[in-house]
Amino acid sequence: MTDSNQPPESATVTLPERLTREWVEKSPLPTAKPAGTLRLDFADTRVIDSAGIALVHLLNNRYNRTGQKLVLCNIADDLLLTLKKWAVAPVEKPVSSRGNIFVRLGDIMIRVYNESVVALSILIETIYWGTFGLFRRQDFRRGVLGDQMYQLGFRAIGIVGLLSFILGIILSIQSVIQLRQFGADVFLVAMITWGMVRELGPLITAIILAGRSGSATTAEIATMVVQEEVDALKTMGLNHIQFIVVPKFWAVSLTMPVLAILSMVAGIFGGLIISLFYVNLTLDLFWSEMVKNIYVKDFIISVIKSVIFSWLIIWIGAYFGFKVRGGAEEVGKETTSSVVFGIFVIIIADALFSFIYDIKF
Amino acid sequence: MTIQQKPIIEIRNLVARYGDRTVLHDITADFYPSEIRVILGTSGCGKTTLLKNTIGLVKPYSGTVTIFGQEMGDLDSEGTAQVLKKIGILFQNGALLGSMTSGENVALPLKMHTDLPDEVIHEIVQLKLAQVDLPHAANLYPDELSGGMRKRVAMARALALDPPLLFCDEPSAGLDPVTSNGLDELLLKLRETLGITIVVITHELLSIEKIADKIIFLDKGRLLYDGLLSEARAVTGGPVYDFFNRTPQNVTTEADNSRPLFHVENA
Repeated sequence: MTDSNQPPESATVTLPERLTREWVEKSPLPTAKPAGTLRLDFADTRVIDSAGIALVHLLNNRYNRTGQKLVLCNIADDLLLTLKKWAVAPVEKPVSSRGNIFVRLGDIMIRVYNESVVALSILIETIYWGTFGLFRRQDFRRGVLGDQMYQLGFRAIGIVGLLSFILGIILSIQSVIQLRQFGADVFLVAMITWGMVRELGPLITAIILAGRSGSATTAEIATMVVQEEVDALKTMGLNHIQFIVVPKFWAVSLTMPVLAILSMVAGIFGGLIISLFYVNLTLDLFWSEMVKNIYVKDFIISVIKSVIFSWLIIWIGAYFGFKVRGGAEEVGKETTSSVVFGIFVIIIADALFSFIYDIKF
Repeated sequence: MTIQQKPIIEIRNLVARYGDRTVLHDITADFYPSEIRVILGTSGCGKTTLLKNTIGLVKPYSGTVTIFGQEMGDLDSEGTAQVLKKIGILFQNGALLGSMTSGENVALPLKMHTDLPDEVIHEIVQLKLAQVDLPHAANLYPDELSGGMRKRVAMARALALDPPLLFCDEPSAGLDPVTSNGLDELLLKLRETLGITIVVITHELLSIEKIADKIIFLDKGRLLYDGLLSEARAVTGGPVYDFFNRTPQNVTTEADNSRPLFHVENA
């Protein structure tokens, strides 16, 4: 056969005895551009496999499309029959909208709109079936709220407490290094109290719960969707939002403020340790400064903020859970998306809350 | 069995689409009380889609479905739930809730939709599990059960409220012939003893032969045959004949017309 990638006009290629994958892999024919008439000489060929059949069909299509000719020479009847038998209809490649920026933008906008409608309906249904809807029906199992509070809230106590304590220590050490330069060590107490109560307590709790409870919510719901459990609930006449999401909604709504307060206490305790043993403040001084800097308004806003965060966590967790289509791989993908998007939304919400603290009321 | 009664399910001109792709074309069919109707066809012909559209899990693109005299499209979620309470559904993979034991799964519809005392519910659960030949499985979780056992527990759950209508989506799929035969026997027994209407989706020939009174044959989303099994067996030619005679359809036996012909030169 010819070695060139461009067979000359009226070229003849003598095919081997075994027209199989091993030969096709080394052959230049699959990538050769059609030129003139190509004769494939099957005189020696006795065996053909899928790669061989595909090669012949590929060349035949290519030559015919470009108005040129492929000729099969000296082919045995059985091989010709095999080639004809496996002349499956070519599958049309899907029309791609790539390249047309307006079509792509339109697609994205339609998708965002549709997804927003779905996400909002999950939020509205959760709030409705979790509040007023409870007077119409109660499609959840007895004791499930306690179970969920234990799973989503109580079991997070350790990690929330420990991380907040460490964060309090880090924040105190970093702050005192700067404050010392101005002889203002005592302001460390105000800084750590303000920081933990107004900002870091609810925020660090929300981020931990988005990673822990949000991901668990998404993974659980997504697995139920994949295994048709959600369909089964619907066909049993049960409200799937009330059965699956509402208990989680209430469990996190009730435990999140408690965890946020725990986080504040643990962070301030971390600051106390540094104040006592590193900055050498007295306990009395720390206490009086701390009490002076805790405002009821800040505390209430932080508790409300943590409740709002809890709703965001469950809403986003449920949305990504119900969004899953396909199998186990999709469950993993949606769980990751849920955590990333959850943390992002919480930080945005936290930024918005920062303005509320300055409102005078 | 009499079949000249008012239909329990009426499907009229049902069209189902996934995006731009039409999956079911203009399906019209009636299902009568106490019959075992098998919806069959090759894989991907739209059997499960027909089931999901019939019970309202997926909204039809067009057409209507009426069950127990109520048009599903006219019902709000509460009304749909009320109809669904009268239907038992056995999903292809069982769809048992993994966080509950078998007994809790079977008890779930009873606890949610009845005011029966726990003791009575417990007795019913035992009875239903015994009906499916799993009297000792109440405390086992779904992941502790084999595929066949899971399906049987799912069947017990589907039957918990004694529904007059039972849908089974490929009950024999993935089961050995003995277990599969056991499920078929169970379906026959349920019809005989409780008189319930059973709609089975399957492509298992042995099951079809054993349980079907009438069949609906789907091919590429179109209803090709709706009638008695015995008459379907007498059809000569076409996909229905091919199905019952196991004639391969997806293998191209002649050169595909859309492919260019070969130029052949033999010495």
